[in-house]
Amino acid sequence: MTKKPIVFSIIQEQSTFMTAIMSVLAFLSVLTLGIALMIGTGAIRMNTSWDLYATIQTTDANDAPKIREVLSKNKNLIAENNEISNSQMTDLMSPWISGGAALQKYLPKVWEVKFKSATDMKTVQQEITPYAKFMTHKNALATPIRAGWYLIAISTLILAIVLGSITVCVSYIAHNTAILHKRELEILNQVGASDAFVANQMQVIVANICTRATIIGFIFAIPFLFLILSAAHSARIGLMAMMDLNWIGWILLVLLPVAITIFATHIAKHTTKNILKHS
Amino acid sequence: MEEKVSSISLTNVAASYDNGADVLTDVSLNITGGAIYFLTGASGAGKTTLLRLIYQLHKPKSGQIKLFGKLTNDMSRDEITEIRKKMAIVFQEYSLLSHMSVFDNVALPLRVRNMPENKIRALVPKILDWVGLGKYANEKPLALSGGQQQRVSVARAIIVQPSILLADEPTGNLDDENASRLMDLFIQMNKMFGTTIILATHSNRLIDTYKFPVIHIENHHVKFVTKVASGDTTKKLWKGPAPKNYFNELSKQFDDIGNIQ
Repeated sequence: MTKKPIVFSIIQEQSTFMTAIMSVLAFLSVLTLGIALMIGTGAIRMNTSWDLYATIQTTDANDAPKIREVLSKNKNLIAENNEISNSQMTDLMSPWISGGAALQKYLPKVWEVKFKSATDMKTVQQEITPYAKFMTHKNALATPIRAGWYLIAISTLILAIVLGSITVCVSYIAHNTAILHKRELEILNQVGASDAFVANQMQVIVANICTRATIIGFIFAIPFLFLILSAAHSARIGLMAMMDLNWIGWILLVLLPVAITIFATHIAKHTTKNILKHS
Repeated sequence: MEEKVSSISLTNVAASYDNGADVLTDVSLNITGGAIYFLTGASGAGKTTLLRLIYQLHKPKSGQIKLFGKLTNDMSRDEITEIRKKMAIVFQEYSLLSHMSVFDNVALPLRVRNMPENKIRALVPKILDWVGLGKYANEKPLALSGGQQQRVSVARAIIVQPSILLADEPTGNLDDENASRLMDLFIQMNKMFGTTIILATHSNRLIDTYKFPVIHIENHHVKFVTKVASGDTTKKLWKGPAPKNYFNELSKQFDDIGNIQ
């Protein structure tokens, strides 16, 4: 492919306008893909961080020795076992229940346990269930993780809309250029140029615009992704705090502008051939 | 003598303008490969439309058009492009690209045929010299006179060494000297490569001087076609000064294009 179209090129104002629009679309696509990847990474990290944790809880103090016994018997299946003390529990409950003897009477006994594997967790769960509530953290976090996947779906939808807009935009460039250069197309036809040759000329124009535009869009989107990441990490806990971009995410983000440029030149080729076919 | 195949054949062809008005009705023609014809008729008679029909720029309303023995009516765009690569057309209004230099205009047919740039750079200056425009290679067409632009248009057409050359009033904007020079080129090309040439013209002087057979269009019909004399027509009918052998050197450069069959 030649670097410069030999017959027609779009005028400066049109080129600038199209570069600006394509830059905004490239910016939005990098941003939406970046957000989707960050949330996805957060959701996966959350899943892997908490899926071996469980909270064991009972309000009957008489069951506590039995629970301790089960935990002790299965200590080879347990990575961490943290029994919440009465004083810690009193502190935790004090905002809701006033102090004194009444609080001591209703204090639940709670254990935070990390298991070595999901199978180990299941084994212990079966033994504990007759005496206490066994709550896996995975179940507890299902709601925020589900919300995370919804956000990813929305981001993907936005990305699809942006790519659709790019298709419309590139088709517009091709149509507009064909109208502006009707005479040139006619002369090309007269001197024996094939449709493929004319389409190639249009591809050169679109490739030039898209290369410039996607680089601009990418450069502008990156600081915004860091800002979003920084704001999310300030939440400290939950899904937002877990959001991140790993090296695979960065590679995908870098590949997106390349993919957009290839996609746009493909659209330009098909649109131009279609225009010529019906001219 | 070996019988030549018709390079252009029209059978009961009718054509109309976009608004539906008839231009040509029931036109039948057989043009032998290697012949030169004049195409005459009043303004608006349909000369340009006939050339456009042959060049496949205009679809016939009815009838059949065969080029090089192949029926073109149902050809795909790619097939038409391929067959058009063996032809060239010179329009009355030059059809030059005003934003491109004379050099680039003439190089255009070679570039669309993907000829290497070094060969283009060798070939284009030669053909520009032969049409007397060597020193205008870097000028834009609008900086040239009508006659010079006409010659650029001719140079662009002949540079691909077409099997069929269609020319719409090619001498219309030229003085007698340049018209004669251009006719020299066409005749030389015809003699050297056997190019079939159809020249649309209003000039009785040209017709009287060169005495090529005439296709005349009147009332939407081809009214009269002078029979082609047997043997080498151009040799017998040529009355002008002996043409310079413009194409001797050029023919060596044409090997890569190979349009002439």
